[in-house]
Amino acid sequence: MQSNQTFADLFKARGVSRRDFLKFCSLTSVYLGLSPSMVPSIVNAMENKPRTPVLWLHGQECTCCSESFIRSSHPSIEDLLFNMISLDYDDVLSAAAGHQLEAVRKNIMKDYKGKYILAVEGNVSTKDDGVYCMVGGDSFLNIIRETAADAAAVIAWGACASFGCVQNAHPNPSGAKPIDEVISGKPIVKVPGCPPISEVMTGVVTHFHTFGTLPDLDRFGRPKAFYNTRIHDKCYRRAFFDAGMFVRSFDDDATRKGWCLYKMGCKGPTTYNSCSKIQWNEGTSFPIGSGHPCIGCSEPNFWDRGPFYKRLAEVPFLGSDSNADKIGMIAVGAAAAGAAAHAAVTAVKKTKEEKHEKE
Amino acid sequence: MGRLIEEIYVWRLPVRLYHWINAICTVILLLTGVYIAAPLLNPPLGEAVWFKQMAWFRYVHFAVAFIFIANFLFRMYWALFGKDKYGRFGGFRPWSPAWWGQPFREQVESYLFLRSDEPNYVGHNPVAALAHFLFIFCGSSFMILSGLAMYGENNPGGFSSILTGWMIPLFGGSYTLHFAHHLMAWIFPVYLVVHLYAVFRHDIVDRTSVTSSIVTGYKHKVEEEPV
Repeated sequence: MQSNQTFADLFKARGVSRRDFLKFCSLTSVYLGLSPSMVPSIVNAMENKPRTPVLWLHGQECTCCSESFIRSSHPSIEDLLFNMISLDYDDVLSAAAGHQLEAVRKNIMKDYKGKYILAVEGNVSTKDDGVYCMVGGDSFLNIIRETAADAAAVIAWGACASFGCVQNAHPNPSGAKPIDEVISGKPIVKVPGCPPISEVMTGVVTHFHTFGTLPDLDRFGRPKAFYNTRIHDKCYRRAFFDAGMFVRSFDDDATRKGWCLYKMGCKGPTTYNSCSKIQWNEGTSFPIGSGHPCIGCSEPNFWDRGPFYKRLAEVPFLGSDSNADKIGMIAVGAAAAGAAAHAAVTAVKKTKEEKHEKE
Repeated sequence: MGRLIEEIYVWRLPVRLYHWINAICTVILLLTGVYIAAPLLNPPLGEAVWFKQMAWFRYVHFAVAFIFIANFLFRMYWALFGKDKYGRFGGFRPWSPAWWGQPFREQVESYLFLRSDEPNYVGHNPVAALAHFLFIFCGSSFMILSGLAMYGENNPGGFSSILTGWMIPLFGGSYTLHFAHHLMAWIFPVYLVVHLYAVFRHDIVDRTSVTSSIVTGYKHKVEEEPV
């Protein structure tokens, strides 16, 4: 393992021309949302800084983040894994397995104490001492705490590690918690999504590698470069929204014309992500582009936010499901009925008093 | 009919202006807000670029919301610094146990038909003051803060996003905040029903011309006469 090699050395060794190397640096700065004046910083970092070791842990998850990650096109997955980050431990992608692999993790933690990045995919089972997620004979709860202790920074990949995702949706049988609730005192950057966009994932790593710091984070701990604006605000169907042209059912004419999916429960107006900007799979498409409403996967607890295909979420109300308008109308009806009853009692009372006075 | 024995100037012009601007704004905000959540109109025919149907409803909602906020702030100024005996916060002290004492209890008992006489107040009675605090002060404050937080989402890092953006994580995300804003909006029609009923009932029972007082500013005391 040649961890002290720089990116530029590796590019050179692989026969990449300096011209292509600079192109790569410019492209990376574009994905990071940096101004062109920052390109020299990236070039400098890529040329002079040794690769950052990354330990990639997997907790309770479906590996969709890894699936997304290996589809990164700028840079490609081959370059990523063999040339860019020094991915020293990843139980899904590593060739080694078992005790050998665990030994690598322990060595990196010792040799690069306080310098490595901990990347976590999946969340942590905490119920019954975390027995519902065991890795290499130990609970994931113990492993993540042990590995995080000497990390320079922690990256939470995906909705699981960031907010909990489906595992901690109601009723959360395994007591699953997002990683920021089990580790403390470490800078954590959340890269939510189910999965996150591959270029967003590589962009975050490159930012840390280039500047040695975490990117600017929003109020939920997500990098602003990718999660600062809503899907809705950059959506190519926004014109249909503003015009009031909505899809009303999945087989209507409006669907074929590609109108706005707002009424089909699209969560784009409340979801912060880059899908409508960067798009997926080398910019091929994204859910709304394929005619499916956004389900809001980069927002906290999106599984518990009501049906995916309804605009107004249903809330459990007096044992049955109801939406905000139904509850409101019931409340108005109750107020009107109360007022009517009160008026009736007042009238009866007044009549009685008048009778009494006459007698 | 009893003879008119006294005329009292209760609601001064700032209070009456606030009342009617607030009433009109609330109705428009409620109608446009419900439409934004569930756009019911048929889509226009033609190219999307020719139309601004949904955008118009949102524009009206935002514009009226800013009038609503300005009006609310104006009323807060008047309640705190205005030299107006009946329009001030002065008498309302829910933190003090004394405020919940005799007058409040008498008013509640009267509304529940537990006593025969009707306590009569020139300004707001204690139960009305509490209702206004909960529905109008707390309700409007929440709608303003959550509304500005969502308005700020258009422009992350902008004025309203910095001022009220903390509401979003507080409610667990933009979607939940939208939902809370929508659900809370319904307290206004609930309030309207109770408010109108209470005004009409007091006018009939007490004969203080409270209904017209919000237009003219004057309440009346009427001489009691045997029927």
